[in-house]
Amino acid sequence: MTQLLSSEGIDVSQKNFQQIIIRGDGKDQFNQKINQEISTFPPSKNLEVTTNHKFILAKNSFDQWSLIYLVEQDYKEILKFISKINSNDEILASDYSYGQVYFEISGENKNEFLNQLTHFDLRLKKFPAFTMAQTLIAKIDCTIYNLKDKYIVTCNKSYEDYFKERLKDSIKV
Amino acid sequence: MGAKDNKKSSYISNKEISFKFDGKKYHGYEGDTIASALLRNNVRFVARSFKYHRPRGIYTCGIEEPNGIVQILNEHNEPNTRATVKQIYEGLKVSSQNRWPSLNIDIASINNLLSPMFSAGFYYKTFMGPKGFWKRIYEPIIRRTAGLGKPPREFRSKSIHQNHNVDIVIVGGGLSGLIAARKLIDTQYDVLILEQDSFLGGVLKNSNKVKKINNKEPKEWIKETEKLIQASKNIKVLKNSLVTSYNFTNHLIASEDKCAGKKIDENKSELTLHKIRTTHTILANGHIERFISFRNNDLPGVMLASSFEKYIHRYGVVPETNPAIFTNNSTTATLLKSLIDLGHKPAAYIDARNKEKIGRKFLNYLEKNNIPTYINAEVEGCDGNKKIKTISIRKSNKIIKIKSSMLCVSGGLNPDIHLFTQSKGLVKWDDKLVTFKPDVPFQNTITLGSVSGNYNYEKTFEEINKKLSFLKVKNINLKIELSDINNFNIKELWETKHEKKSNWSKSFIDLHNDVTTKDLKQAVKEGFDRIEHLKRFTTNSMGTDQGKISSINSLGIVSKILKKKISEVGTTTYRPPYAPLSFSAIAGRNTYEFYDPQRKTPIHNWHIDNKAVFEDVGQWKRPWYFKKFEMESMHLAVQRESEQTRKTAGILDGSTLGKIEIKGKDALEFMNLMYTNAFTKMKPMTSRYALMLGEDGMIKDDGIVCKFDDKHFIVTTTSGGAPKVLADMEEYLQTEWPHLQVYVNSITEQFSTFNISGPKSRDIVSKVFTDVDFSNENFPFMTFKVFDYMDTKVRIMRASFTGELGYEIYITPNKALELWKKIFHFGKAYDLVPYGTETMHLLRAEKGYVVIGQETDGTVTPLDLNFNWMIGKKKKDFIGKRSLTRSDTSRDDRKQLVGIIPLDKSEFIEEGQHVVECERLPKRITTPVEYLGHVSSSYHSPNLNHCIAMAMIKGGNKLMGSKLFVSSTYGTKNIPVEVVSPIFIDPENKRLVS
Amino acid sequence: MILINCPYCGERDQSEFSNGGEAHVARPENSENLNDKEWGKYVFYRDNPKGIFYERWVHTHGCRKWFNAVRNTSTDEILKIYKLGDNPPNKESFSNTLKTPSGEPKVGSGNFTVKK
Repeated sequence: MTQLLSSEGIDVSQKNFQQIIIRGDGKDQFNQKINQEISTFPPSKNLEVTTNHKFILAKNSFDQWSLIYLVEQDYKEILKFISKINSNDEILASDYSYGQVYFEISGENKNEFLNQLTHFDLRLKKFPAFTMAQTLIAKIDCTIYNLKDKYIVTCNKSYEDYFKERLKDSIKV
Repeated sequence: MGAKDNKKSSYISNKEISFKFDGKKYHGYEGDTIASALLRNNVRFVARSFKYHRPRGIYTCGIEEPNGIVQILNEHNEPNTRATVKQIYEGLKVSSQNRWPSLNIDIASINNLLSPMFSAGFYYKTFMGPKGFWKRIYEPIIRRTAGLGKPPREFRSKSIHQNHNVDIVIVGGGLSGLIAARKLIDTQYDVLILEQDSFLGGVLKNSNKVKKINNKEPKEWIKETEKLIQASKNIKVLKNSLVTSYNFTNHLIASEDKCAGKKIDENKSELTLHKIRTTHTILANGHIERFISFRNNDLPGVMLASSFEKYIHRYGVVPETNPAIFTNNSTTATLLKSLIDLGHKPAAYIDARNKEKIGRKFLNYLEKNNIPTYINAEVEGCDGNKKIKTISIRKSNKIIKIKSSMLCVSGGLNPDIHLFTQSKGLVKWDDKLVTFKPDVPFQNTITLGSVSGNYNYEKTFEEINKKLSFLKVKNINLKIELSDINNFNIKELWETKHEKKSNWSKSFIDLHNDVTTKDLKQAVKEGFDRIEHLKRFTTNSMGTDQGKISSINSLGIVSKILKKKISEVGTTTYRPPYAPLSFSAIAGRNTYEFYDPQRKTPIHNWHIDNKAVFEDVGQWKRPWYFKKFEMESMHLAVQRESEQTRKTAGILDGSTLGKIEIKGKDALEFMNLMYTNAFTKMKPMTSRYALMLGEDGMIKDDGIVCKFDDKHFIVTTTSGGAPKVLADMEEYLQTEWPHLQVYVNSITEQFSTFNISGPKSRDIVSKVFTDVDFSNENFPFMTFKVFDYMDTKVRIMRASFTGELGYEIYITPNKALELWKKIFHFGKAYDLVPYGTETMHLLRAEKGYVVIGQETDGTVTPLDLNFNWMIGKKKKDFIGKRSLTRSDTSRDDRKQLVGIIPLDKSEFIEEGQHVVECERLPKRITTPVEYLGHVSSSYHSPNLNHCIAMAMIKGGNKLMGSKLFVSSTYGTKNIPVEVVSPIFIDPENKRLVS
Repeated sequence: MILINCPYCGERDQSEFSNGGEAHVARPENSENLNDKEWGKYVFYRDNPKGIFYERWVHTHGCRKWFNAVRNTSTDEILKIYKLGDNPPNKESFSNTLKTPSGEPKVGSGNFTVKK
């Protein structure tokens, strides 16, 4: 974890999470298969997030789930997990561990801060706790998870420098 | 006579501030605008007009100002600033515009006397010829004398964007806006109030029309309301924020000036552009007073009556203690009373209405206070040199002249329907109010107070209770006491008749753009009787003020000429922005380094350390070439990199390549449909170069397909094409072939890619990956292997984009740099060279490989590139298949890919040049020669030591061996060339498969 | 920028979406049996009416889902959103739109007098 910036009512830090993107039909067999591996059923409602101290499991889209490890895992275990899941022809799991960057954004002014960079409606009534959204932040594709007291924002690693500069700039000016 | 401070006003502080106008130092108070401060100093002549360079003074007290437009010399040298809006601060430097050499002596004011030349449609009619005159003579002259201020010298303004999502927006923090806000305090609604001024209160502070609210001074009531709003959690107030656009789906744009009355802090943002999405919009943005056209209604000293009133109450300055007042309605009564209450005596009260309309009570008041009163009268015009000296009043067909230096005019009030009509709301004409007012809203728009045509302040709260009842919030009852009777009683009057007929005497309809009422009449006479045409022909209401005080007047005048009702003439279309909006606000932070997001590969910093010069490929920063030493030119570097790669080995950071993982029961069928190639017979763990077409048969993208098995593929795409290819795959899966069970994931960023190639590449990779057998037998061309390495997985594919023996290495980004360095560690012994995109292009051109987007441009089929071998002809279907047999795509004279070399090997061919036939060349050309095609790629090949080029030429396949010509820059010469095969190196593929 | 109600993600700003042109244009299955004109019709010809238009959208920067929408092209109102595969709603069911030629207000535009 690296503290990126801290200002009045806003804290941003960078996290070293790992991620797997899972595609499938969300039907019984799919749910069982996932549950078998991580003892959690994937959420069935679009944009829903289930979480525990170890990971976030969220339904990103009609056929896509993301599994984010909040506690660093042995990478070999992740690869093992992926190959197990992929043994099923009707599921595609792709490793997203190191091609993404993760930011934790907290503080009472986090909405106003992020709304400098995105049009997305972050009000609790439109973006409830334990839901997620894919949207544009600072003109790039980002995924944002609402974990009640903080947001986890992730984007492609290639944008890391650009995105960090934008976050810093928003505080500065 | 002259200006007096109104000490009773408390809206302005007592802190003295000095500033400069046209080099002269003046004093004002903190909170003063440039205009109020100048009026305080008796400066009334502040500008020259746009076309005739006539002397002009402050006309209004706000955003609607047509005259008082100035240049701010400090800051960014900002032109066209409204003196009536911009607040002064210590050290502010301001200059007037449209004058040379000075405001007082202006050479171009001769235009005024030449004005018969400058009538409506002047530009359209006058500068028609002779040929060449426009560029050399007319334009330079016009540019010098016309136009507004000077552009900013160096643009370094900082602005930010702020998005808002709310339930209710209230535009305007005046009486109605504040009543609405009080109703919404502590409700479930998120509310945003946008106020253009630096304080709330609107009419309550602009005049003394409202005396008491609930027995409190208006000032106190505003303070109390502001406190309540502040204490509430659901309402936010933005001051100095002007709403400029009301877009569709209740999306509003407001520009906030964060440096109102302050010096700009260069490290902080100066403007914030608020982008607001709301569910309901409450427009409480009030009204704007309009003027009346009379002879010389532009002389410094003429001012709108309500603006004069604003200067008294808001800024505490009486611009003139004895002005004359000319009106056609009752709103000026409070101005007159304010003056008398302050102990001043107006020079005259001129009212176009009759006794009945004015009302006995007010007439008695005038009489009691001994005010020279002219009823049923009108101002014919005024005269004076750079200021009003005499005012001519017409009463009973007689002209009476009086002396006064200021004239306050009121022609009525226009509800400020600009935003309402931007939102696509319908307006209607109100005969009683003699103006347009909102009728049917198109969006969730509610208009409150004077913008809805309700000028009755006493009963405003009733209107608000009624219109906001749907929100189910508590009602408010207010006791509002007025200082005067509240009847508007307007009489329609747009223009008074002239007596004098000299060139200097003009009656203006648009002060900003110098359009006279005569111009309107002439334009109608010339046939421009549609209001939108008329506007453009005369430039009426096309200035930076958009005719805010005059556009309804022009409708009135035109309707009279056309003998139509104003409602039939209609208004022109109101378009955003409501008032000029700074480009810097629109740009926000999306400038300079943030103009476009930048993508970097995991090796980026190594590239910097190794003197890479970068090239933008889409959003990616890719090394273009590496400088071996500081002074090495691009040409030398590329020649060196190319030569070395063919001699021993070179490596390219190809991490930007798009990568897509495809998996599912029906993956094979899907791949067969998406690509032209046939994948059925392809063996597992092999790869293949593949083409993707559009339905029109044109090449869209290419890449290498790796087949794990029939249910699992990984494909690469071009660096720029990745998102589009993925999107296309998704589209077909969802829309055309939902029965196929296939999933696709972008894994572009999940793997870094290195392309190592050259005769020594096998030796190098064998040393890096000691567990892998790289022998030709066990690792043949177009196969791939996946294996464990450095606690991660690596995939290596034997492929080449250079024509040499080559490998593509895929590794997770967290280990990429480590591996890259390791490859160099072992590559050192072989003089392994890093190369960039330019060398990549050169090497592939030597081998005759095409680049999508360079050889192709969306009009090239695989047949045009002689890619017949890549088309799975036996497949029943694939995207674009049917189009390959269309009559147009099967023509044999289509542009086809060929190689081209100059006959004289020392010549160089440029990319993009035309290829032409040779029979009549190089003789002098008298008739156009046929264009055969263009050069798509051209390089100096270090390995052949001459220029090699690729070209797309009509019927190129048949022209093999022919001699043609290629044009050169500026047509200086035609270079004789020969058409050859585009494969210049190793046509037998010996190196590839070695 | 208008708001579009993605059937999966809810209301989002238009900038997250891409327009996919006319809806209900099926890709011909038997393209080899079509003559150039018939095939050309599928590849190159699309409707572009003023008023009610059935079109496709995709939530590009969100869930990537394609869906259909009925939009009034003269006012930009999205009148209905429905899933792929659903039957298109009846055109007659939409009446709450402005009827003037370009959808602009009757009064409030100089075009009004040109109309007759």
